[in-house]
Amino acid sequence: MNWRLVSRLAWRDLRSGEIALLIVALMVAVGTVTSISLFVDRLKQALILESATFLAADRQISGSREIPREFLDQARLMDLETAETLVFPSMVFSGDRNQLVSVKAVDSFYPLRGELIAGDQPFQRGFVAQTVPQPGFVWLDARLFPSLGVQIGDEVEVGLATLKVSKVLVSEPDRGGSFFDLGPRLLMNVLDVPATEVVQPGSRLSYRLLLKGDEADLEQLKENLELKPNYRWVSVKESSPRIGSALDRAESFLLLGGLLAVLLAGVAVALSANRYARRHMDHVGVLKTLGATPKQIWVGFLNILLFVGLISVLLGLFFGVSLHILIVELLASLIPVELPAPGARPLVLGAITGLICALSFAMPAFIHLRNISPMRVLRRDLDISPASRLLSYGAAILGSLTLLVWYTESLFLTFWSLLGIVSVLVFFGLVAVVLLRGTGIAGMQAKSGWRLALAGLQRRKNENIAQMLIFGLAIMLLLVLVLIRTSLIAEWEAQVPKDAPNHFLMNINANEVESIGQLIRTRASKANEIYPMIRGRVNQVNEVEAKEWQKNLERPYEGVRISSERNLTWLERLPENNEIVSGEWWNPQSTESLVSLEEEYANDLGLSLGDRIVFDIGGKLVETKVASIRRLEWESMSPNFFIIFSPASLSDFSATYMTSFFLEKEDKRFLNDILSQHPTTTVIEIDALIEQVQKIVGQVTQAVELVMFLVLFSGCLVLLASIQASRDTRIAELALVRALGGTKKLIGGSLFVEFLLLGTMAGVVAVVGAEMTVALLQAQIFDLSFNLHPWLWLLGPVAGGLIITLVGYFGSRGLLDAPPMNVLRGA
Amino acid sequence: MSQAVIAVNNLNKTVPTAAGDLIILDDVNLEVEKGEAVAIVGSSGSGKTTLLGILAGLDSATSGSVRLMEAQLSDMDEEERAIARGKYTGFIFQSFQLLMSLTARENVMLPAELRGDEQAESQALELLEKVGLDSRLNHYPNQLSGGEQQRVAIARAFASRPEIMFADEPTGNLDTKTGSLVTELLFDLNREFGTTLVLVTHDAGLASRCDRTISIASGRVVL
Repeated sequence: MNWRLVSRLAWRDLRSGEIALLIVALMVAVGTVTSISLFVDRLKQALILESATFLAADRQISGSREIPREFLDQARLMDLETAETLVFPSMVFSGDRNQLVSVKAVDSFYPLRGELIAGDQPFQRGFVAQTVPQPGFVWLDARLFPSLGVQIGDEVEVGLATLKVSKVLVSEPDRGGSFFDLGPRLLMNVLDVPATEVVQPGSRLSYRLLLKGDEADLEQLKENLELKPNYRWVSVKESSPRIGSALDRAESFLLLGGLLAVLLAGVAVALSANRYARRHMDHVGVLKTLGATPKQIWVGFLNILLFVGLISVLLGLFFGVSLHILIVELLASLIPVELPAPGARPLVLGAITGLICALSFAMPAFIHLRNISPMRVLRRDLDISPASRLLSYGAAILGSLTLLVWYTESLFLTFWSLLGIVSVLVFFGLVAVVLLRGTGIAGMQAKSGWRLALAGLQRRKNENIAQMLIFGLAIMLLLVLVLIRTSLIAEWEAQVPKDAPNHFLMNINANEVESIGQLIRTRASKANEIYPMIRGRVNQVNEVEAKEWQKNLERPYEGVRISSERNLTWLERLPENNEIVSGEWWNPQSTESLVSLEEEYANDLGLSLGDRIVFDIGGKLVETKVASIRRLEWESMSPNFFIIFSPASLSDFSATYMTSFFLEKEDKRFLNDILSQHPTTTVIEIDALIEQVQKIVGQVTQAVELVMFLVLFSGCLVLLASIQASRDTRIAELALVRALGGTKKLIGGSLFVEFLLLGTMAGVVAVVGAEMTVALLQAQIFDLSFNLHPWLWLLGPVAGGLIITLVGYFGSRGLLDAPPMNVLRGA
Repeated sequence: MSQAVIAVNNLNKTVPTAAGDLIILDDVNLEVEKGEAVAIVGSSGSGKTTLLGILAGLDSATSGSVRLMEAQLSDMDEEERAIARGKYTGFIFQSFQLLMSLTARENVMLPAELRGDEQAESQALELLEKVGLDSRLNHYPNQLSGGEQQRVAIARAFASRPEIMFADEPTGNLDTKTGSLVTELLFDLNREFGTTLVLVTHDAGLASRCDRTISIASGRVVL
């Protein structure tokens, strides 16, 4: 076929509306993916940027030794922005008062991400500081003003240097991280550090090189630098397991949402392409009798498909961009972060999705046309050979797989999603057959309108089973989304409750435990147990030197460092939010020296039950045996310990104690009371950190709701497409019923009942499928426990009946209004 | 030397069914001479439509040989048969089989366009004038009566300048008066273009206009 003929056929199909459904379906596929991808991409970028404020940078290199100049030079050579910080504990003096603080010395480029908030008066709202403290000046946490008895303009001594207090430090972006980053802060200029003379051999120092720049450059730098074993590369996920865990789950969910939308769109494309092809079988028969070869038919319709695809992709991209702008505009007040400009990737993703959808979902229907027998012009009952149907399903499956793997970038997620869908389809098929048989029996007793509807269901048995699969699948996907969303948000909210402990109190002496416990119980809420705490490091494992043990590991420096000094505790009972995954918790009366390890810590260091570990605690060696491995809920915000000893192990050591509690913002002055009565204790405020975690959870929740809305939208379009696919058969049936004297009311009523029954039955099977899929997803991806959802068994059928009746009735309205002659002519 | 444009020898057609092979055509032998008008008649299910399809290269035989002009159809695949159809045959159908999205003019242009002929449009205009539809060139099929649609179909069939015209119940969907007019037109054009005509019909009047009648019963040619 020449191009003129092809373009004429395509244009006429377009004008007559023959191809409109296919274009709308492809447009929806492209538009949905583009809008989801644009929004998610921008939100993810924003979340990453927001999360990057926890590091005050995109990446950090940290170490206990000074960062080599060579690292800095390489980073600058790659056009990365850099800043340097040094954190160390020190006593600060003001007259006769003193306080242990966490000093942070920064250069003038700090921070690279996030904002430094300073104020002119303690305990007041601050403003964004444009500079860091100038040399000779320090900024103090509000709480240090009363405890040191100083005011703005007074002087404090840090080591040998005397520095002037110029501002109140309200917040700094990278206050997360380890406990020792979280003490009452004193911020000073790094140029003043030499004058303090506190940096001596053996001092506990944490040097950091902050990096900001292009993702690829950062990864390249990581590869170029020889970091191991003295320096650590830190990204947001590694720096804070809580944030990492939240981001991972968000990513899984958003990917799943995108994936569902694509599957729905693919079904819509296949349905409308099949309808288009079916309506063109006679055309092909005629063209073949006129001498068109199968190759000409194939090339001609391929060109039509490409023409349609091009129009759809352009419209889809426009639709996707508009929809995404609308969403961003509508939610502007709800999205607390500024979204970065979108990249080209979502547009490319949308366009390629359109192409893949056209090729894998629509193309097989077009390939079929090539095989239409020219005898069809004489005998219209001739259909397509089963072999080419096999090809079409194969292509659709291949296309779906390509899209699934491409979107999820995870064979695991693809595998489980597919397994869920295939199991559900097989199951749906069986249930649909049983339900349809039931309607056959009921139809014998039913009255006229009902009988017509039930007979309709029976007459198109195969078609109805297929439609029930499609409707059921669409409803199931929506229910899965609702269930997963509900479980996910409920779990997040449960794990970061509003009154989660937001302050840690450390360095409590044994003789202060009782009075401090009393004070906290009366003035604060959600007080935790008071835990003993002692510092120590691993010295030997199974008679092998600790450093040697780490070297012998498969991936020696991927995880934690075995010889780092850590906080150790000893407890009689297993703390809340801890779960034993192997071994047993000890008997409180046990005299054996036992230890319980956190799961990831044990895995990273190749430690297992029964291993004998020697700890160096203040120069004294303590030999223990690993009795259990625990799993921690990092989101719980409670004091979490990698290593817990049995009480008998450390009974000879004197320890300091720590606890956590919840305090409202307006009750902050309570901290001063504690510190004035117990000046040697240290308060760590993590309320800002919790606030940030909650903010991220909030944003992710909104993104999830939006994805659900988009999936719901494309689900409804699939329903409409599948109703349109059966439109021609229905026209023929209505013509017959009307010819036999059926009234418009009777036909309307029977259509209503037919859709209601179809929807309700699809709803029933959807619920079963949703429960099955959710059980799998919860177990395999989200790590949640399985439970049935009784309310779903009502919601599914009701929603199915309602949606399909509404959409079906709306889609069939034109048939009822058409004059009988038009109906007879099949117009 | 034989002037046969169609030669059929020992033609058999069977289709597999659940109850075993069903014989549609059983050892059919026939020849059609150039310029001849032949009617194939028979009761419903006798196999006459299948025979027409095989003679025209729309369908393939199970066994036996079928020659259409120089084309040995029984040795060809679908791609080759399509080329032969485009080269030698024209078709007229009971249900007209016009493409509803194309106008009368565009429908008639189709065969020439499929061949890549640049003269497609002028040829179509000439033919539509011959069938008396020069005033309805840009009308779509659903804007034409049944008789007009069949005249467009006849014009389209002759547009491929066929050697042999095949027709399946060409008046079957028309009233008696319109049917007669269409029959006249078909035979007039057949004479004008020197085409061989093979048609299937139930209409005894139409069959009697042909030079010869071949009767089919239970898949066999009845002499």
